[in-house]
Amino acid sequence: MENLVYIALFAPLVSSLFAALFAQKPKIQLVGIVTSILIGISLLASVTLLLDIHESGKAVSVTLMDWIQAGDMDIKFGFTVDQVTAVMMSVVTLVSTVVHVYSNYYMESDKSFNRFFSYLSAFVFSMMVLVMSDNFLGLFIGWEGVGVCSWLLIGFWYERKDETRDVNPSISPSWAANEAFIMNRIADLGMLVGIFMIYWNLGTVKYSEVFAHLDQLSHGMLVGIGIALFIGAMGKSAQFPLHTWLADAMEGPTPVSALIHAATMVTAGVYLVIRANPLYSQIPEVGYFIAVVGTFVAIFAASMALVNRDLKRVIAYSTLSQLGYMFAAAGLGAYWVALFHLAAHAFFKALLFIGAGNVMHAMHDELDMFKMGGLKKQMGWTFFYMGLASLALSGIYPLAGFFSKDTILEVAFNEHTYGIWFTLWLTAGLTAFYSFRQVFLVFFGDERYHEIGAHPHEAKAYALWAMAPLAILAVIFGFYKEDFVEFVTKLLPAYEMSEHTHHMVWILTLVTTAIALTGIIVAFIKYSKGLKRDLNFEQNNKLYKLLYNQYYIPVLYEKAFAKPYKELSDIAWQEIDMQVVDATVDGIAKAVETTGDVSRRAQNGNLSTYLKWMAAGLIFVTLITVISVVIK
Amino acid sequence: MSNILSVLIFFPLIAGVFGFFVNKNSIRVYGIVVAAAEFLLSLWLWMSFDTTDAGMQFVEKISLIPEFGISYYLGVDGISLFIVILSTLMTLLGIVALSIKEDLKNMIITLLFLEVAMIGVFVSLDVILFYIFWEFSLVPMLYIIGAWGGPKKLYAAIKFFIYTFAGSLVMLVGILYLAYIYHATTGVWSFSLTDWYGLLLPTDVQTILFWAFFLGFAIKVPMFPFHTWLPYAHGQAPTVGSVILAAVLLKMGSYGFVRFSLPLFPDASVAFILPIAILAIIMIIYTAMVAYAQKDMKQVIAYSSISHMGVIILGTFAMNVEGISGSIFQMLSHGIVSGALFMLVGVIYDRRHTKLMSEFGGLAKVMPTYATIFVVMTMASVGLPLTIGFIGEYLSLAGFFKVSPIMTILAGTSIIVGAVYMLSVVKKSFFGPLANPENEKLKDLDSKELWALVPLVAIVIWLGVYPKPVLEPIDNSTKALVQLMHKKAQTDKAKKIILVSKDAKEAK
Repeated sequence: MENLVYIALFAPLVSSLFAALFAQKPKIQLVGIVTSILIGISLLASVTLLLDIHESGKAVSVTLMDWIQAGDMDIKFGFTVDQVTAVMMSVVTLVSTVVHVYSNYYMESDKSFNRFFSYLSAFVFSMMVLVMSDNFLGLFIGWEGVGVCSWLLIGFWYERKDETRDVNPSISPSWAANEAFIMNRIADLGMLVGIFMIYWNLGTVKYSEVFAHLDQLSHGMLVGIGIALFIGAMGKSAQFPLHTWLADAMEGPTPVSALIHAATMVTAGVYLVIRANPLYSQIPEVGYFIAVVGTFVAIFAASMALVNRDLKRVIAYSTLSQLGYMFAAAGLGAYWVALFHLAAHAFFKALLFIGAGNVMHAMHDELDMFKMGGLKKQMGWTFFYMGLASLALSGIYPLAGFFSKDTILEVAFNEHTYGIWFTLWLTAGLTAFYSFRQVFLVFFGDERYHEIGAHPHEAKAYALWAMAPLAILAVIFGFYKEDFVEFVTKLLPAYEMSEHTHHMVWILTLVTTAIALTGIIVAFIKYSKGLKRDLNFEQNNKLYKLLYNQYYIPVLYEKAFAKPYKELSDIAWQEIDMQVVDATVDGIAKAVETTGDVSRRAQNGNLSTYLKWMAAGLIFVTLITVISVVIK
Repeated sequence: MSNILSVLIFFPLIAGVFGFFVNKNSIRVYGIVVAAAEFLLSLWLWMSFDTTDAGMQFVEKISLIPEFGISYYLGVDGISLFIVILSTLMTLLGIVALSIKEDLKNMIITLLFLEVAMIGVFVSLDVILFYIFWEFSLVPMLYIIGAWGGPKKLYAAIKFFIYTFAGSLVMLVGILYLAYIYHATTGVWSFSLTDWYGLLLPTDVQTILFWAFFLGFAIKVPMFPFHTWLPYAHGQAPTVGSVILAAVLLKMGSYGFVRFSLPLFPDASVAFILPIAILAIIMIIYTAMVAYAQKDMKQVIAYSSISHMGVIILGTFAMNVEGISGSIFQMLSHGIVSGALFMLVGVIYDRRHTKLMSEFGGLAKVMPTYATIFVVMTMASVGLPLTIGFIGEYLSLAGFFKVSPIMTILAGTSIIVGAVYMLSVVKKSFFGPLANPENEKLKDLDSKELWALVPLVAIVIWLGVYPKPVLEPIDNSTKALVQLMHKKAQTDKAKKIILVSKDAKEAK
């Protein structure tokens, strides 16, 4: 079994290094094929491990080698595959394999084809390190690693120039990449602080040892650690107020959005909370705070998706919103529910994004949904996939999203946090609406794409086949809920609904399905027959403009943080460093020089001047002597 | 070879003198051969170093002026070993990457003399000897900046010289005072550092001496507000000068804190954690902001050096093994990374004769290998895990967290502000459209540059993934150092804050 762990972990690294060998060469098809196969091998190893752990119920642990030893700190590269890790590994490698295969199609005419695969596989490796590590610092390696890969991939088309916000709200790929990196770094500081607290209080950062000794810590310390780690999670999972980078990250190629910014990396924060469940179980007040933040983000992000016209941004907001659902579940203590939604979401959201990739290809990279329409005719399969994914996202029976999202709502109800329940319920309606607004705007109604001279075409067969596993899982995953629960609750706390909730379940299900259907129907009425724009409304309605401009938060950040920081930096350099600090140094030097210069004049070689000075000196000394004698 | 340390000092000295007689056309090869031999000797030192022994090894002691207890006294432990190797490595790579045409011979000879001074500083255990090497190191650098520098070279060179020299003089007074106290207490004269370690000083004397040494070290590091000579020196120095200055010479200051201030004045060191930490935090945040404001690529790296030295100082004053080991490791890491970054700036300067970022943009397209190495070094500079930059920064901050969580959080913003200025350099220089037509035909790295840079990339990743070979000896010697400090500490506060590691306690 140990070998499988290493294969699952290192196959992506080998894949990345292999592709890197050809990074500066023109496209080599073999690179795409080899990397896809290597990621596939990692998938096979992961699934085998999953089945094995299912069978044996025992986690597999390996220690590769020492890493940092200083003082009493002893950190090793150690990896543990337990139930939660096995699920994460399988989800990550599955989506990764699909995305690798699909990228062969999507990036087929990109001149940096090989470089792309190198970054993509490096991401998979980092993600595997993140989920497999058996200690917090190992997790942090993966945490930062995925951050860098995300930076590289968002800025993949680095040569594009900066635009103003009204031309491109994300400014440019390289700008968006830097934004993502820096914003994540802010959160990472929180995470580091959490790790420091754990180390100095428990003397170790290994999960098993940390969680076994949590009872040695005071409640205040637990709260501190819980909050610090959650700040880290907020960055990676783009929770408010560190959320703006995710929408801008859509500057990356679409397969990247599917893999990193929907299915895997952004769920790392949720994974962290699930992983640290022994900690969060002891501090329900922090858990409640997490749930509230998650719930807020759910509706906050959904509201922005309602009006956006950008195909990818709508999906990005929906990702944000669904991450909010996951945090709500995890915060309320229903860790397995969060993990279940994480997995289900990974499947249907990746499917949705890849479908969007097909549409973009067909539309020559046009992203404005108002310029699409009627694509169902040319792109039947893509329509089918995206429609399916949207149904799953909306939580319609019998798709995966129905089971996972409904359970979250039940949890909120069961915890008597009715505010959270209501907000999430409302969000479910919004979700259904914006998802189908998108489907109808793209695939139904009048063919507006003629205006931009597009000639839509369906994606290649193998690309469509590559999407099939995701589609199948989006359909059937929900039926495995019972098995899933049984499997992961060997590690995670079982979450039991109360008797009362049990009786209410069918009503809850009904009202949730009802609001989702309502959302779909409204979208159908409004958008399926074609686009009727109300320009007056778009330009003058305050709420519409507020939502369309993301509550003006990016502009606010620019004005409140980015710009003042730049100005302050300029002041620090020009005014303080040059005018004060350095000027003082030069001033002292100047003073010394002037003193020397002045006293130099005394030595003019004129004997009578010297004599005068001597006389003056003599008088001075005599005077002092006299005075001192008199005073005595 | 029990006198390997003498060999390390005198080999470049003799080779440098011989250099005057070497033909101009073969001086380059000569320089590389000498520096490579010296580097191999330092590696040999490492190989024969007993990593389990925390004390001084390869000790040589010859009495020079017995009346005053001055001797030729050398030794190396885990703390100094790798800084010695760093010095020989950076000298070698600096010579390999040399692109200077005029007066190459004098340049190489100067570099060899500089190497003598650097190694001398790090292996001297006699304080007078240490001071001689310390001051001697100024001369070659003065010459490098003053002779091969940019348009304001004389101003920069003289500022560098006088400023650091002024600080050193105060330190010299401190040294003499300390020797006087030693004589007054024991009745014999000695300038041997290991003798001085045994001295228990009253806290008020410690305070005076601490600040006297502080001035010498702080200007060298350079700590805020004594840092303004550095941007001028870097701005005017030729590439090789900046590489050595950033990689090794600044480390003399931080090494001084570890070697002198902590063990000689443990109580004063603990007492002044707060002001030192405040200065370190100002260095980290304020200079990072100043770095962000720069328009010249080299100035960004120059200011970033100050910012990173802030983390090192903070780690040193953590007073526990984690922090001090981390700060020593970070000295090496910063040496490698900033050295590489200065070389990288030199690469583009050789091609375009400008360092202004507004002249660049989109360079990744024409110089992909260059861009890749620059990004690797950027990531190491911002402290990405699995690069060399993470380990030291992490340990330094972790160590200081024990002293003050709040100040560590402030200092920890280094991972944010560091990313801000470094990523903005990358974006301005390498990303975006290739707008400037002068950049269209730039050549990527040539073999000479690759020979200098690829080893550094390899080290960055090797020591990021597997720091143990280096960290273990450092850690051993640091444990001994902290134990000594703890033993010597007289005030309760110092006893409490100086934290001996657990396994060292058990060993007792």
